[in-house]
Amino acid sequence: MPDAIVTLQGVDKDYPLGAVVVRALQGVDLEIDAGEFTVIAGPSGSGKTTLLNLIGCVDVATRGTVTIDGANTHKLSERDLTRLRLHKLGFIFQSFNLVGVLDAFQNIELPLLLQRDLGAAARTERVRGLLEQVGLTAFAHHRPGELSGGQRQRVAIARALVSQPRIVLADEPTANLDSVTGAQILELMQALNRTGTTFLFSTHDPRVVERARRVVRMVDGRIDSDSAMSPAAAVSPAAAVSPAAAVSPAAALATLTPAAADHPAAATSV
Amino acid sequence: MLLLRLAIRNLWTHKWKTAIVGGLLTVGTLLVVVGQALLASLDLSMSQSIVHSISGHIQVSKAGAKDRLKLFGSPNDGTEIGHIEDFPRVRKALEALPGVEAVVPMGFNNAVVYGGNILDVKLAALRKAEREGDRTRTKALRNHVRRIVGLLRGELGNLEGFVDLSRQSTEDREGHAAVETAAHDAFWQGYDADPQQAMEFLENRIAPMAMGEEMMFLRYIGTDTARFTQSFHRFELVDGKPIPPGQRGFLFNKLNYEDTCKHKTARRLDKMQDRIAEGWTLKSDAELKQWMELNQRQYKEITYQLDDLGAADVRKALQAELGSQQADLQKLIQAFMAMDDKNFAKRYKLFYAAIAPYLQLYAVNIGDVLTINGLTDAGYPTSVNVPVYGTFRFRSLDKSALAGATSLTDMMTFRDLFGHMTADRREELQRLQQGSGIKAVAREDAEAALFGADSDADEAVELAAAPTGSGAAVAAVGRDASAPSTGLADAATDAAAADLARLDLKAGGRRYGRELFGRRYNQQEIDGGVVRHAAVVLKPGTDERAVLQAVRAASDRDKLGLTAIDWREASGLIGNFIGVIYAVLATALLVIFIVALVILNNTMVMATAERVREIGTLRAIGAQRTEILAMFLAEALVLGALFGTLGAGLGVGGVLWAQAVGIPAVNDVLVFLFAGPRLYPFVTPLHVGVGLLAAGFVTVLSTLYPAWLATRIEPVVAMQGAE
Ligand SMILES: Nc1ncnc2c1ncn2[C@@H]1O[C@H](COP(=O)(O)OP(=O)(O)O)[C@@H](O)[C@H]1O
Ligand SMILES: [Mg+2]
Repeated sequence: MPDAIVTLQGVDKDYPLGAVVVRALQGVDLEIDAGEFTVIAGPSGSGKTTLLNLIGCVDVATRGTVTIDGANTHKLSERDLTRLRLHKLGFIFQSFNLVGVLDAFQNIELPLLLQRDLGAAARTERVRGLLEQVGLTAFAHHRPGELSGGQRQRVAIARALVSQPRIVLADEPTANLDSVTGAQILELMQALNRTGTTFLFSTHDPRVVERARRVVRMVDGRIDSDSAMSPAAAVSPAAAVSPAAAVSPAAALATLTPAAADHPAAATSV
Repeated sequence: MLLLRLAIRNLWTHKWKTAIVGGLLTVGTLLVVVGQALLASLDLSMSQSIVHSISGHIQVSKAGAKDRLKLFGSPNDGTEIGHIEDFPRVRKALEALPGVEAVVPMGFNNAVVYGGNILDVKLAALRKAEREGDRTRTKALRNHVRRIVGLLRGELGNLEGFVDLSRQSTEDREGHAAVETAAHDAFWQGYDADPQQAMEFLENRIAPMAMGEEMMFLRYIGTDTARFTQSFHRFELVDGKPIPPGQRGFLFNKLNYEDTCKHKTARRLDKMQDRIAEGWTLKSDAELKQWMELNQRQYKEITYQLDDLGAADVRKALQAELGSQQADLQKLIQAFMAMDDKNFAKRYKLFYAAIAPYLQLYAVNIGDVLTINGLTDAGYPTSVNVPVYGTFRFRSLDKSALAGATSLTDMMTFRDLFGHMTADRREELQRLQQGSGIKAVAREDAEAALFGADSDADEAVELAAAPTGSGAAVAAVGRDASAPSTGLADAATDAAAADLARLDLKAGGRRYGRELFGRRYNQQEIDGGVVRHAAVVLKPGTDERAVLQAVRAASDRDKLGLTAIDWREASGLIGNFIGVIYAVLATALLVIFIVALVILNNTMVMATAERVREIGTLRAIGAQRTEILAMFLAEALVLGALFGTLGAGLGVGGVLWAQAVGIPAVNDVLVFLFAGPRLYPFVTPLHVGVGLLAAGFVTVLSTLYPAWLATRIEPVVAMQGAE
């Protein structure tokens, strides 16, 4: 299928753990198309992270093929996999994983610097645009340590998007956030999705699952069900606010109270 | 760019770690820069001291000799260095090499000189006073001589408790009897009846028994004096005049002269004056106090030398100074010598104004003929006399005992003392010994046997060259059998010199006549005999190492049989000093850098462990392994460059500061090493470069392992939840 960004066919992932082998994934087939906003749901230990690692090219399948944007990852060298991650994938981590010594602007700029494609002016413009999109223009020169959990995750989202990846992978992006902040982050991702970014994220939080357009349920390393969104979740609350909100995610955020936006985070950044 | 920024950010954020590591690097780099600068400066100053005073740039001596030449070693060091076989040829060959200014022949040796004894001096003065019919003076001198004889008798009496008199030689017993006679009132009552006979008795029988003769050790270099003074730029005449070119003569090193020849009390006062000028006080300095106490205790150094007239004058002067009616001279001197910081300057002046004129201030005076006693190369005792022309010093090294230890004499005198035991001459000597069957005969008899008994002792020349009269000269001539034995070996070996020499056989050494002292030796004669070693002096700006190579090559090519060493090696222990400092410094630096390396490595490994998630994240979002490595190296380089520059900057600043004020030489060894009272160190870009390189090298080296560890971090660690 030419539209598919990610294709998994008969993927197994085994983790040898002493004498036994943990079969983290068994016979997974999956296809993600451009523009999707997909949630991988399932209880803890069901294999969500493992699946995302394979798609994110930071780990390799034991059996089966993983194809990203037409490239079979089994056939790529370590260098090429790194390049693929840099140019085609965006990552949002559970614990944000910002570089502590760099401020928000610099953290977002990081992938562009690694890409070495853009000049300083173009980089600055792009980073500024993203800072605005995630509503952190005022915090451009704050270090992660000076930001709340929600703010940090927004920096992380901006960093994942700055290289204009084919797909953004997010492993439990709200797990370290309180429910209010988590909801905001989710809404931000939804808004960004509407502007064209493909999202694939994992969660075991039922409230998050409600918002997805497609839900892949995992149980014990297998895909238990793969369903299109429920009608209730199809209508995003944010989408209902105003037509402008569909265009500008920042505007969507603007509807939230400042107190909620700065809700303290439980987790610390790196 | 990103790497650099991350590196700086990281360093800035981890200030504590950066401070520790940076401090180490700063200190290390500073030490490298300062150490090198000091070493280079020391090397230069030492070369100034050594090269331009004694050694020249290169020293050549006989190849394959048993000992190695050591110009500043202990006296017994390097005695068997052999001698250069054919110096004129060596000189010609080496002076033809480009960059060579002069080749100066040399032979260092050690000797003993006996200081004059006061009885000799006073008897000479008495004789003069008698001749001139000066009644007052005669009376005063006669009393003085009588007092000295009394003291002598007392001291001989003291010996009796320690020495088994029955085993004394007849000679000793006769001597004792003579002193006994001279100390008796009857001798002095009979003096007027025949003053001539009385004086002869005193001169011939008593004076040899007199003590107060001091052995003074000398180290000298026999050389082509004209060439030497031309080639060694640090040479500087202090008193007297230079040895006329080609003539025999002796120049005392000023410091050595002051230390060994000067009247002890006067010398101590001089040293006190110097030390007080340096800012020490009598009140607080133990050394000054000790000198002062010695001056009080050793009042005899003054009283022995005063006759009645002098004693009266000194008494008057001291009474006035001390405001005392004390008549006892000993007590007056002791009170006078008890000085304090307030009156020192005044009393120092008074000493030279009121006391010194009555003293024999130097055991040897310029203009005297000095009798040098030594051992020949073959080990036979010998003595040679030589006129003292003056004193010299090596410019700005006048306070250095090392530079001040070596006096100078001409090549001829050196050879007479050194002897010349080539194989055929040794054979000749053996033949002579066997032929005359004198193995068991006393050496003086042997010499008489060799040269016949016709050389009359009377022919021994009048040696009192200086009008003031000289202790040493008089002592040398006026005594029998004072020198322990004769230079049999020499006598046998240097027949040509013997022809010219007038031998004072009774004195057992060479007693040259005035005509010999006036003789001018030509260059052929100067160069043509034994030369132990030679200094090769280079033209300014010549590459020392290149010439050293050239000298060695020339020796091989022309079969000169030379071994050539640079001044560092030639100077023995002192020359190695720089090597020792270098080793110490290098070791210290090595330790510092190893410590820095370990600490740096540990800190970096720890930092890597702390940054596993960050590095994993970077890898996940697309950083290559090489970029992680580069990031670490950049961090190391920034660290190295930053603190290396800081350290180098501080080092350069320190050296420049030291250059402005000078590092004082706190002792005489340092004066020598510094080529003067202060060292003005310099620093070159090379020193800075090496310092920076060392800093960079250490940081990069210490980062390699942690950096490698970092590249092994898998991107998947970024995905794992917070631990
Ligand atoms: N590195 C690993 N080594 C061994 N077992 C692993 C490893 N990673 C995950 N697993 C196991 O694989 C299974 C799936 O884990 P994971 O993908 O992390 O699940 P989820 O993210 O859904 O909680 C679990 O049983 C887990 O214990
Ligand atoms: Mg997980």
